[in-house]
Amino acid sequence: MEQAELKVRVKELIVRQLKLEVAPDSIKDGAPLFGESAEGLGLDSIDALELVLGVEKEFGIKVQDEEVGVKAFASVDALCEFIRSKAA
Amino acid sequence: MALEPLPHVYPFRFVDRVVEVTGPASGRVRAAVTAGQRCPAYALPGTLCEMLAQAVLLIEGGDADLGRSGFLAGISDFQVDRLPDPGDLLTIDVRLAGRLGAAVKFEGEITDDTGRKVASGALTVRKGTAPPPSPP
Repeated sequence: MEQAELKVRVKELIVRQLKLEVAPDSIKDGAPLFGESAEGLGLDSIDALELVLGVEKEFGIKVQDEEVGVKAFASVDALCEFIRSKAA
Repeated sequence: MALEPLPHVYPFRFVDRVVEVTGPASGRVRAAVTAGQRCPAYALPGTLCEMLAQAVLLIEGGDADLGRSGFLAGISDFQVDRLPDPGDLLTIDVRLAGRLGAAVKFEGEITDDTGRKVASGALTVRKGTAPPPSPP
């Protein structure tokens, strides 16, 4: 899968899974998904669980623990890299 | 399987016994609806959410501390097909959907003794103390 296509799928997954009222393409590739940030999404631990479940369902990837989850889910770029590394 | 302990008591206890455990926070629980329970609590869909939560707690062993050390963090895709009637013998099937750190999500379905669906949905709970409410 092309990197650009993967980013689109990941952003659509984030919006769909978390029922966000934003356009998928408005999510910046490198912006932090969690915590307080002007350009981030400000997600919390409950959102993290929803994202993990979404990634498992959409890409068939198991996320093992919170440490991996937080690192892999730091941004859209990080999540795409995580998915690509697991799919390789 | 024998009646399991649960910190909840009448009139806020909505499940009776575990009949099958299939994994962590997963299994089948039975609940009988009596005429005394029917109104007004069973007229509230929220009671059916509580029934799912109590089913998980019952499967987990009814540990009172466990029940008091977490809080409801979310309800999703919850659908009520009909409210239970007195005399219904309900079956509550719950399944652990996922766990990440202190957050746990489980899915459940409640059916009556004819197999007809009563309600279904997912609950997310988080261990720890609930955060203070946000200012308006």
